[in-house]
Amino acid sequence: MAGNRVLVPLSDTVTVRQTVSYAVRSGLEDADSLEVHLVVALPHDTEVPEGDEQREEANQLLARARRWLAEDAGDADVTVESAVLGDDEYLFGPRDYADAFEEYADEHGVDLVVIDPEYKPGVTSSILQPLERELDAAGLSYDEAAVERPARHERLVGEGTERFDRYFALFWISFGFYLVLGDPTYWFDLVTGVAVAGIVSASLANVTFSFPLDRIESPIRTVRFAFYVPYLIWEIVKANVAISVVILRPSMPIAPTITRVNTRVRSGLPLLALANSITLTPGTLTVRANDQRLIVHTLIPSAREDLFDGSLERAVRFVFNGRESARIPSPRERGDAEIIGGDEL
Amino acid sequence: MIEAARFWAIVVLVVAGLFFTFVSAVGVIRLPDIYARAHTASQTDTLGAGLALAAVALALGWQQASVYTVLLLFFVFITNPTAAHAIARSAAETGIEPVTADSATDDGSPDSGTGAPDRNSSEPDAGSDVDGGETA
Amino acid sequence: MIPAGVSIEEIFLLAAALFVVLAIVMFYRAVAGPTTQDRLLAVNVLGTNTVVILALLAAGLDEPWFLDIALIYALLNFLMAVAISKFTVERGGVL
Repeated sequence: MAGNRVLVPLSDTVTVRQTVSYAVRSGLEDADSLEVHLVVALPHDTEVPEGDEQREEANQLLARARRWLAEDAGDADVTVESAVLGDDEYLFGPRDYADAFEEYADEHGVDLVVIDPEYKPGVTSSILQPLERELDAAGLSYDEAAVERPARHERLVGEGTERFDRYFALFWISFGFYLVLGDPTYWFDLVTGVAVAGIVSASLANVTFSFPLDRIESPIRTVRFAFYVPYLIWEIVKANVAISVVILRPSMPIAPTITRVNTRVRSGLPLLALANSITLTPGTLTVRANDQRLIVHTLIPSAREDLFDGSLERAVRFVFNGRESARIPSPRERGDAEIIGGDEL
Repeated sequence: MIEAARFWAIVVLVVAGLFFTFVSAVGVIRLPDIYARAHTASQTDTLGAGLALAAVALALGWQQASVYTVLLLFFVFITNPTAAHAIARSAAETGIEPVTADSATDDGSPDSGTGAPDRNSSEPDAGSDVDGGETA
Repeated sequence: MIPAGVSIEEIFLLAAALFVVLAIVMFYRAVAGPTTQDRLLAVNVLGTNTVVILALLAAGLDEPWFLDIALIYALLNFLMAVAISKFTVERGGVL
């Protein structure tokens, strides 16, 4: 065998360093030369404001990985290629990542993908298992790098304070709720409230927040959310009047359609907020939310136009990412909105 | 003077609440399929309920009970769309096909052709068992 | 000006009565179906209506504790809708 070609998708994890050396070691076992393709798949494209930053991080990661490779390779014949994927498209879920890797593998004649067991592109949670399934489906052979987990001490410390933040936030939220229902001046309610909030935060803190809290960002988000609520109510009232006019007309001129909108908000709470806001505005109803793909049922054309103009999406981005990132093109301009037939549900 | 203003504010809120709930009831009866009904059933109704609850909060004034009402209002606004989404999703997963603008005309639904979208491709079998919302 | 002979309580009671009428109208959908989800949706809306009626009665009859019941009812209503729609998807599966 002349040489092996392996593809190594990188992301900033605890085990990325070990994955690189595993790729070199295993690749050199049965061949004398090795061609390593290092790739970083970007979850957002560069149109989105935070895209530039991510691109910068990706390049840094690639540079670091090149140095590691040089260390590991020693005298062996190892060549390195690196690339950033997903630059011109928007990667949603495991499927898209698998497709992107497969396309790259085809182009460069790569025969094996070495995956970091902690592989975690962008902001979504770990996608290893679904990714492996999709790679199987795409007919691409892969190998999970053998690594020893943990170690990276600052990470562990970081998780400690973060866990404290979760307990802290949930404790005060549930204590506040308890006191709203009870009497904040009565000592009995205060004592039982502390007990109940303690139990709730101890048992449910890890379930409640599926994303890392940020000491500075999270309170700011709460404040921005307070600005968002009146706007949302105004939108709801407007849409309600529009739909009432349509329904009360004897001819009832409705035109139901199923549309698909690819949104650009993070999964988890932002996506929940957006999907719920879309549902709350009459005329649009979120039927499914898979990754960032929303299947939306629209009742009247004007509601559909509003949805495609993406004002709610911008508002949700404003709440979670700040004013800067609210300025993105509408789903229509991005080509992320389309009408699909009912059978595609 | 303030009493009168409050009185009329309450009346307006209650009437608006009743109006939207009425629209919701009409929608639940008239609209052709589950997805369309979910629009009014869960959202117009949410606004109706919200307005009525706001009226109650206003009438109760500054006391513990109106805190409850505000809480209730908040809660209704969060849970109703979530429930509607859950129901619509379960409908989609059990394979209920939505009546779309093209198909609505051939199963005798009230006039819907107006703003028919351009590319809303195939919509075949009118014989699917569930699109007869108008019949019952 | 507040019209003579009309109190806020009466307005709330009248509104509650009208809400009951609307609830009965919506009940048609719960009976007629035709699909499980239609009934579920109708019951969910009826639940929301019940919450509103309870709140209106609380203000109309000056019985603030009705609001406690309304709060619990709203919670249960939401849980019911989510639980049943989950149940219809994986029929027989554990919720």
